[in-house]
Amino acid sequence: MCDNCGCNLTDANRHALGAEEHHTIEVLENLLQVNDIQAGHNREHFDEYGVFAVNIMSGPGSGKTSLLEATIKALPPGVKVAVIEGDLETENDAERIRRHGVPAIQITTGMACHLDAHMVHGALHELALQGLDILFIENVGNLVCPASFDIGQHRNVILLSVTEGDDKPAKYPVMVHAADLALITKTDLLPYIEEFSVGRARDSFLGIKGQLPIIELSAKNGAGLEQWIAWLLAEVAKRRPAAAA
Amino acid sequence: MHETAIVAGLMRIITQQASKHGAAHVSRVTVKVGRLRAVEPQQLRACFEMFAEGTVADGAELVVEEIGVRGRCRGCATEFDVPRYHFQCPACAGNDIEVIQGQELFIENFEASSSPPPAVDPPLVPK
Ligand SMILES: Nc1nc2c(ncn2[C@@H]2O[C@H](COP(=O)(O)OP(=O)(O)OP(=O)(O)O)[C@@H](O)[C@H]2O)c(=O)[nH]1
Ligand SMILES: [Mg+2]
Ligand SMILES: [Zn+2]
Ligand SMILES: [Zn+2]
Ligand SMILES: [Zn+2]
Repeated sequence: MCDNCGCNLTDANRHALGAEEHHTIEVLENLLQVNDIQAGHNREHFDEYGVFAVNIMSGPGSGKTSLLEATIKALPPGVKVAVIEGDLETENDAERIRRHGVPAIQITTGMACHLDAHMVHGALHELALQGLDILFIENVGNLVCPASFDIGQHRNVILLSVTEGDDKPAKYPVMVHAADLALITKTDLLPYIEEFSVGRARDSFLGIKGQLPIIELSAKNGAGLEQWIAWLLAEVAKRRPAAAA
Repeated sequence: MHETAIVAGLMRIITQQASKHGAAHVSRVTVKVGRLRAVEPQQLRACFEMFAEGTVADGAELVVEEIGVRGRCRGCATEFDVPRYHFQCPACAGNDIEVIQGQELFIENFEASSSPPPAVDPPLVPK
């Protein structure tokens, strides 16, 4: 009666379907193994030169590139940085960074809404790691995918701007959980956005990751930048004990 | 759509393993996905269907087993299921929690046969 579910199989006709040739093959292999191995290789490159690699993630337009521009200006002289920019289509962000005299490599991902370890490795070929202190990797503006792909970074930073709503962290728990530092950005706009409560945003972050450090800042007026710079320099110092001063 | 990249990895493994085991057709694939992976099972299956077309796994069923998040409190060592990504210890209310389950992303097994799949549309051989 039913040819799909096998309920009409009898002992007499079962062999005709070759049922006895079916077997289960155990595999147990990581689906992102190729990416993860490449990410480990990238990390070796960074560690070879003592470069602190930091992955900057947020939704589109939360202020990643603006923060990097402000950071370049605020870092003490002598701290050498470079930037890898991930974007679906354009070169704009890398050009913004280059205007500050900092090397920037643009990766246009096309269809992919995240950077992966191979893309970052490709960019490393165009970049001299020697003498660098910090490599900023601005990921594609997207609050879901980037958290799933190790690119060889040492730390993840997530940005949430005050124009996005203070309940956002709870909606993207996986990315928040992957973060080592959260930045609440565009705080200069707080007086105009009464719906956004910094307290609620903090609670939302901490409900997912109680130990997550959070800094409020504005790339526009510079408020809070010194805490961010201090966090960066502490990470640099961990990798360059001799050079830290 | 990071599901695309994940399925590409899955197809690479299936193709390799199928040829290693002399399997002519794969009928069912089981993967385990932790809830901290932000993977949509439905998107994963749709994507798999597309990628599998014309391969050894054409028409195969993809079984996605989701694994819930479990944590261990670094304060009091209690282990617990983490409800809705709320990482707080039910015993001591501490929030320094180590993830012990929920980050899985792997293929567990697949079902294969050494004979090719039954043709959907058996060609009529006139004679
Ligand atoms: N008021 C205010 N505006 C800001 C601040 N930072 C960024 N912006 C504005 O927000 C918009 C987006 O900033 P970007 O720095 O391009 O954001 P992004 O995260 O790099 O964007 P994508 O790379 O496209 O995802 C721009 O119009 C910026 O001028 C800030 O601190 N205060
Ligand atoms: Mg940008
Ligand atoms: Zn290399
Ligand atoms: Zn993606
Ligand atoms: Zn506890």
